[in-house]
Amino acid sequence: MTRATEAATFFGIIATVYLALLFQLLPISLPETVQDFTLPVLPWWALVTFGAYSLGNIGYHVLTFRDCPEAYDELQVQIAQAQNDLRSKGVTI
Amino acid sequence: MPLPQSHHDELFLPHRTNSDFISDAVSIDIQDDLAHHHSTDTVPLLHNTINSHRSSNMTGPHKYSVLLPTYNERENLPVIIWLLTKTFQENNIDYEIIVIDDNSPDGTLEIAKQLQKIYGEDRILLRPRAGKLGLGTAYVHGIQHATGDFIFILDADMSHHPKFMPEMIRLQQSKNLDVVTGTRYAGNGGVYGWDLKRKVISRGANFLATVLLRPGVSDLTGSFRLYKKEVLAKLISSCISKGYVFQMEMMVRARQFDFTIGEVPITFVDRVFGDSKMGAMEIVSYAQGLLKLFVAV
Repeated sequence: MTRATEAATFFGIIATVYLALLFQLLPISLPETVQDFTLPVLPWWALVTFGAYSLGNIGYHVLTFRDCPEAYDELQVQIAQAQNDLRSKGVTI
Repeated sequence: MPLPQSHHDELFLPHRTNSDFISDAVSIDIQDDLAHHHSTDTVPLLHNTINSHRSSNMTGPHKYSVLLPTYNERENLPVIIWLLTKTFQENNIDYEIIVIDDNSPDGTLEIAKQLQKIYGEDRILLRPRAGKLGLGTAYVHGIQHATGDFIFILDADMSHHPKFMPEMIRLQQSKNLDVVTGTRYAGNGGVYGWDLKRKVISRGANFLATVLLRPGVSDLTGSFRLYKKEVLAKLISSCISKGYVFQMEMMVRARQFDFTIGEVPITFVDRVFGDSKMGAMEIVSYAQGLLKLFVAV
């Protein structure tokens, strides 16, 4: 199964269950507040939550992004070392 | 030669990262294809190790072939080869470096020949090609000439540092992994030379890829990796993309084929020589590549 079909299946199942509950097709009776107020806005809530999660995730990782200036400095030293060493061995640098 | 901090010595991340919020919910375990035993959430800490029957000799001497596709790397090539040979010699690792030059106009091949004289023709192999033919075919070309049983791939522009290679080898041996990939985003990994915009783009791209493809690795676009030779051959033959999406696809395919994957934090120094290009076209082509993988893998 490709990732796309996995996602489609997953959302298909969720959508079926949701719509069944929304249109009261199942022999389950939910509390009134849930049925009348929560269920209709659930998809939008999920969307907003996902959006918030995405922004939070990206923001968090950008904030805690590790810069590594020491790696750059070390590399510069080693570049000079390498070039000197190889130059002395006859490589045209 | 400094090695990365020892407490991250064997960073072996679970095959799903924290940002895999959607895949957490898919623990309904859609057992679609019984023949295609996808790793599910039942083993959160280990990548599945059912592949221990694979014939990779854990004992015995190993040889590591480094594939180095080059184009206009006249300045970088001597340094990267110096660093590679230094690392391998200091750690007593049997190696060979295969330079695959795509007919660079700046004389990369001449420099490579000079280096070959210093280090020996059994250590530096030159397998040039007639023109700029792309990364995937460069790997195919390189593998055919590789005499090692493991393959390293890394960038020749010194954004990847060979000092992480012994740790990758250690991790691979400790768990007999099929693939070890360097990660810039987890553990002690890091990047030098990115401004805020670049960081945001990069994390956003990684997030998108993780949500869509659920690869189980923290750095999907990285290209500093260690493969078993037969694993790399199988992955290349099954990949359909080009460019750096190809690197992503290899990782996703590796998961698809249930190969065991480990990660080692690396530091990435962006563009020591030369300038980087990350324009709108790159982003668009990345998204296109991602979508193509989403429906194909």
